Amino acid sequence: MSRLDSVIRRLQAQRICLDWATQAVAGRPGAILELGLGNGRTYDHLRQRCPEREIYAFERQLSAHPDCVPDDDHLFLGDLVDTLPAAARKLGRCAILVHCDIGTGDAARNARVASRIGPLIGNLVRPDGIVLSDQRLPVATAWQELALPDGVAAGRYFLYRVRARGGAE
Amino acid sequence: MTADREARSASGPDPQDALERMLARLEAQRAWLDFAAERIAAVPGPVFELGLGKGRTYDRMRRVMADREIFAFDRELHCSPRLSPLPEHLFLGDFRDTLLAAAERFGRSVALVHADIGSEVPARDAAICRDIGPLIERVVRRQGLVLCDRPLPLSRPGWEPLPPPAAAATAGWPYFGWCRSR
Repeated sequence: MSRLDSVIRRLQAQRICLDWATQAVAGRPGAILELGLGNGRTYDHLRQRCPEREIYAFERQLSAHPDCVPDDDHLFLGDLVDTLPAAARKLGRCAILVHCDIGTGDAARNARVASRIGPLIGNLVRPDGIVLSDQRLPVATAWQELALPDGVAAGRYFLYRVRARGGAE
Repeated sequence: MTADREARSASGPDPQDALERMLARLEAQRAWLDFAAERIAAVPGPVFELGLGKGRTYDRMRRVMADREIFAFDRELHCSPRLSPLPEHLFLGDFRDTLLAAAERFGRSVALVHADIGSEVPARDAAICRDIGPLIERVVRRQGLVLCDRPLPLSRPGWEPLPPPAAAATAGWPYFGWCRSR
């Protein structure tokens, strides 16, 4: 498969998963967290799909298109290991949907980051919130892995519902 | 309502967001390149990729035009080593200079030029198109094709605009194609 095809597949999977997740949480209150703003494409998609929701973006170092950067009140800059606890202190269990897009080409690094931030994400999710991640996250007892929507290859994304208690047990 | 949400509500919903625009663009590129590969199957000559960028479309071209010699042009090399052409297939520098050098070397022998040169600055794009249009006209042979993400001014007689292939029309991203009839 060419690089063009693999990028198209990745973006299609993102769109399918994001659209599924925003539908799945429709009608229920809560914010959206975008972990890994990157160039801001999925953030832009989320804000178009969910204009009524607060969306908070997290990024180590800002590199997004200026049109796709949230205002300072909705932006957490720094390492997720620091910014996720800071967000939990400020916002509490606020999120009905978390989109975690943190993968790099380094699989060992991805797994290490995922294992560290999984429990921190749990502290931010409302009961029955959805977590969508490009990396497998360590599943606490309160997390239930869900089947991916049609059209998304296994392993491309990971989808979880966080039941009443979301944090690391 | 916070300032962020107010700003977003005031601007109204865009018909497309950055994710959908990117997908539409890549799908249109793939559809046009696949169409072009078939269309030039019986037309001899090398292929030019203007604007190598990350090497995505170059990678598609070298698969669907596997037995074709492909030359890539860019100001600087940005793509990963795995996707980078060999040095002898790479022209680095300003298109105006490198295309001129290529025109002198290849003459009117090229079967396809894919020019992916658009930026977010329309005036800059128009200036580049104005400068490279005549150089592209110097290299493309009869029955050869030109694809571009901007409307190139091709002023010599014999250029016929091509209707978008079905998958490109579905993608909904503007892309332009021409065939040289003489």
